Amino acid sequence: MYERGTTQGRLAGAASTGWVIVVLAFWIAFWWGLIVVFRINPDFLPMPGDVVARLVRLATHPVGEGPLHVHVWASFQRFVGGFAMAVALGVPLGFVMGYFRLLDWALTPLFELVRYIPPIAWAPFAILWFGANFGAQAFVIFISTLPPILISAYGAMRAVDPTLMAAARTLGAKPMTIILEVGIPSSIPVLIGGLRIGVATGWMALIAAEIVAGTGTRAGLGYLILVGQQTLQASTTIGAMVLIGALGWSFDVALRRLERAVQRWR
Amino acid sequence: MSNSIVYRDVSMTFGRGASAVQALSATNFGIGDQEFLMIVGPSGCGKSTLLHITAGLLRPSTGEVLLDGKPVTGPGPDKALVFQNFSLFPWKTVWDNIEFGLRINGVDRADRSERVAKYIRLTGLAGFERHYPRQLSGGMQQRVALARSFVMRPRVLLMDEPFAALDAQNRTLMQEELVRIWSEQRAAVLFITHAVEEAVYLADRVIVMSRRPGTIKEVIDVNAATGPGHWRDRPLNDVASEPRFQELRHRVWDSVRSEITTHEDA
Amino acid sequence: MTATKILRLVVPCTALVLFALAWWAATDALRLVSPFVLPSPGDVLGGLARVSRGYMGSTLLDHLIASMSVMLSGFALALVIGIPLGVAMAWFPLVDRLFGPLVAVLRPIPPPAWIPLAILWFGIGLSGRTFIVFVAALVPVLVNSYVGVREVPQNVIAAARTLGANQRVLLTEVVLPAAAPVIFTGMRISVGVAWATIVAAELVVAERGFGFLIMSGYRNFEAEIMAGGMLIIAAIGALMNVAFLLVERRVLRWNAGDSRDV
Ligand SMILES: Nc1ncnc2c1ncn2[C@@H]1O[C@H](COP(=O)(O)OP(=O)(O)OP(=O)(O)O)[C@@H](O)[C@H]1O
Ligand SMILES: [Mg+2]
Repeated sequence: MYERGTTQGRLAGAASTGWVIVVLAFWIAFWWGLIVVFRINPDFLPMPGDVVARLVRLATHPVGEGPLHVHVWASFQRFVGGFAMAVALGVPLGFVMGYFRLLDWALTPLFELVRYIPPIAWAPFAILWFGANFGAQAFVIFISTLPPILISAYGAMRAVDPTLMAAARTLGAKPMTIILEVGIPSSIPVLIGGLRIGVATGWMALIAAEIVAGTGTRAGLGYLILVGQQTLQASTTIGAMVLIGALGWSFDVALRRLERAVQRWR
Repeated sequence: MSNSIVYRDVSMTFGRGASAVQALSATNFGIGDQEFLMIVGPSGCGKSTLLHITAGLLRPSTGEVLLDGKPVTGPGPDKALVFQNFSLFPWKTVWDNIEFGLRINGVDRADRSERVAKYIRLTGLAGFERHYPRQLSGGMQQRVALARSFVMRPRVLLMDEPFAALDAQNRTLMQEELVRIWSEQRAAVLFITHAVEEAVYLADRVIVMSRRPGTIKEVIDVNAATGPGHWRDRPLNDVASEPRFQELRHRVWDSVRSEITTHEDA
Repeated sequence: MTATKILRLVVPCTALVLFALAWWAATDALRLVSPFVLPSPGDVLGGLARVSRGYMGSTLLDHLIASMSVMLSGFALALVIGIPLGVAMAWFPLVDRLFGPLVAVLRPIPPPAWIPLAILWFGIGLSGRTFIVFVAALVPVLVNSYVGVREVPQNVIAAARTLGANQRVLLTEVVLPAAAPVIFTGMRISVGVAWATIVAAELVVAERGFGFLIMSGYRNFEAEIMAGGMLIIAAIGALMNVAFLLVERRVLRWNAGDSRDV
C-alpha cells in the first residue's frame, strides 16, 4: 500500500553536514521548548532526553519478551521472512512473465484484480490463515512487497535489449537459457532498484503488520510502539519510532550503495 | 554607428578556490545600434556565459555591461533571449506564450491582442494560436520563441544557437524568416552559432572567440565584404556559391579551427 | 484480426475463467477448504450483498462516510500544508535548509507507526485518525511539490525572467504551472496512501468504517464479510485513482500524459 510513497527525491541535498546538525539541534531545542513553554505532560510528549534515556533503559530491561535487541531481532526476522518469500516468488515469476507474453497476458488480469487492495487490508485474512503472530505478519509483508519486486523483475526483463535476445536465439539458445544467460545478468541493476523500493515498502508494512496483526506476539518494534501507548509511556513509543526510522533509513542507504556498486561494476 | 551595448572588462569565474573555472577572461567590446553580430568559438569557450551576462541573468565577476550607456543590472524585456531548446511555456498555447511578456508588463488587453496577432502573422503561425507547444514541430516552436521575443520590441536580441536543433531545410527557412522580421524591426542581435556558414551569411560582423577562458580573438567584418546590399537579403542557396562568401567562410573556419587544435595540443 | 490479437483477448479471459473455476472447485464443489478459511466465489458475492445492506449496526453509507470523511480531511490538511511547504522549500534556500533536515528525519518513519502516538495524543476519535492520515498523505505531496519545482527547466525560468517576470510572477505563473504535473502525481499517490492508512487505522481502532468492517468480520468468523469489505475497499481505491487520472488529463491537457512518480 505504501510502495509508491517511497519517493526517492533527495531533500536537503545542498546543505552541508555541519549545517544539518545545527538545524537538527534547533528542532530538538524547539521540541524541548514546546514542552517547557506549554508545560506538556511528559506522558504525552516526553523530553528529547527522556526518549534517549528510555531507549538506554529498554536496552537492558525487558519489556514483553525481552530487552530491546529481542524486539529488533523479532521485527527483523519477520521482515526478512516476508521479503524473502516475495523475492523467491516475485523475481522468477516477473522474469518469466517478462519473457513469455502468453503468461504475461494470462496473469496480469489476476494481479489487476487484487492490485487496489491495500496490503494491510489482508491482515484479518492473514490472522485467520496463519494466526496473529509471525505467520500473519510475514504474510502482510509478503503481500506488500510482492508487487514492486515482481514489477521490477518484469520490467527488467522487458527492458533487455531485444537484439541481444535475438542474437542468443539465432545461436540456438532455448528460452530458459536465454533468460538465465542474457536476461538476468543484464537486468540486475533495474532489479536492485526494485528491491530497494521493496525494502522500503516492506519495512513500512512490517510496522503496520505488527500493530494490526501482532496481537499474538509480545515482541517487535511495532509491539513496543503499541505498549508505549497502552501504558501511557510516550517515551517508549517515540523511542521505538525513532529506531524504526533509523533502521529503515540505513537499509535504504545500504541498498543505494549496492545499487551504485553494481552500476559501476557493469 | 553608435554602440548600443558596451562590454567593459567583463570576465566571469564560476566557483571558488580549487574548483574555480574561469569561463571568460576580460572582454572589451562594443555592439552597434542595429548590428547583427554573430559569435563563433570552440565549445566551452564562454559564449553562452557572455550571452547570459548580457541578458542580465548572470552577474560578471568583474567589469560591466552597458546598454545604451546604462549598466545592466538584471534581466528584462528590453533584452530578449532565444535558446536552442525552445524554452516555451508548455502549459500555454501559442497565443498565450506570445502574450505572456506583454501581459506581465501591464500592456492593456486591446493593445496586446493587436500586437500578438501581428507577430503570429509575421512568423507564419496563423491557425496555430490555440495549439500547445508539444503539438508543434521544432521549427514551429522556434517561430513561437521568436515571436515571443520580438513582440516585446527588445533593444537587443540574444540568441544562443537557436536553430541548432533544426534540420537543414528548416534552418535555412528560419534564417530567412529571422532576417525578414529583423529588417522590419531592427535591434542589435547577438547570435551564437557553431555553423560557420550561418555566421557568415547573417552577420554584419563575426566574432571569433578564443578557447576557454574565452575572449574576443578576432573580429571579421562581413559588411565590408558584401558591400551595400548585404547577402542575407538574398536566399542562402544563391549566396553560398559566391567566391567572396566562400573566402570569408574559410577565413572564419580557419580562425576557429586554430583555436580547437591548439586546445588539443595543450 | 491477427492471431496475436485474438490470443491477446482469449488468453486473459481463459485465465480468469480458469481461476474462478479453480476457486469454485476448491471451495464449493470439492470442499477442499473450509468456508471459514476461504469463502467461495458465491460466498464473496453474498458477503458483498450483505455488506451493502449494512453491517454491525451501520449501513454501507455510514461506513463510507466514516472512512471517507476522515480520509478527505486528513488529505486536505496534507495538501494545504504539504504543497506550500514543498514549494517554499524548493524556492527559498533558507526554508529548505530549515525544514529539509526535519523532513529527512521524519520521512523514514512509516505512517502506521504514528497510529499509537496519534491515539495517545488525540484519543481514539476522529481527530486521531485524521492526524494519522495527514502524516501519511503529507510526504508524497510535499516531496513531489519540492521535486517538481526543482525540476522546472532553467531555460523556462530564464526565458520568463528575460520577458520581465518578477519573483511573484515567476512563482505563480511559471514555476507552479510547470511543476503542476509532478505535484498532481504526488496528490494521486497521496490519496492512495491516505486510503490505505485510514483502513489500517480503522483496523486498530474505530467504531465504523471499512477497516472496522473487515476486522469485525474477522471477529465474528464471517470470512465472506471480510472478502466483501476488501472488494469494496479496492473498488473505492481504484475509483479514486481513476478519478484523479481523469482530472489530471483534463486539467493538464498540455502535458502529453507524462505523469511520473518521482
Ligand atoms: N553555472 C556554471 N557553473 C560552473 N561552471 C560553468 C557554469 N556555466 C558554465 N560553466 C563553465 O564555463 C565554461 C563556459 O561555458 P559556456 O556555456 O559559456 O560555453 P559555450 O561557449 O556556450 O559552450 P558550447 O559551445 O558548448 O555551448 C564551461 O567550461 C562551463 O563548464
Ligand atoms: Mg553554449
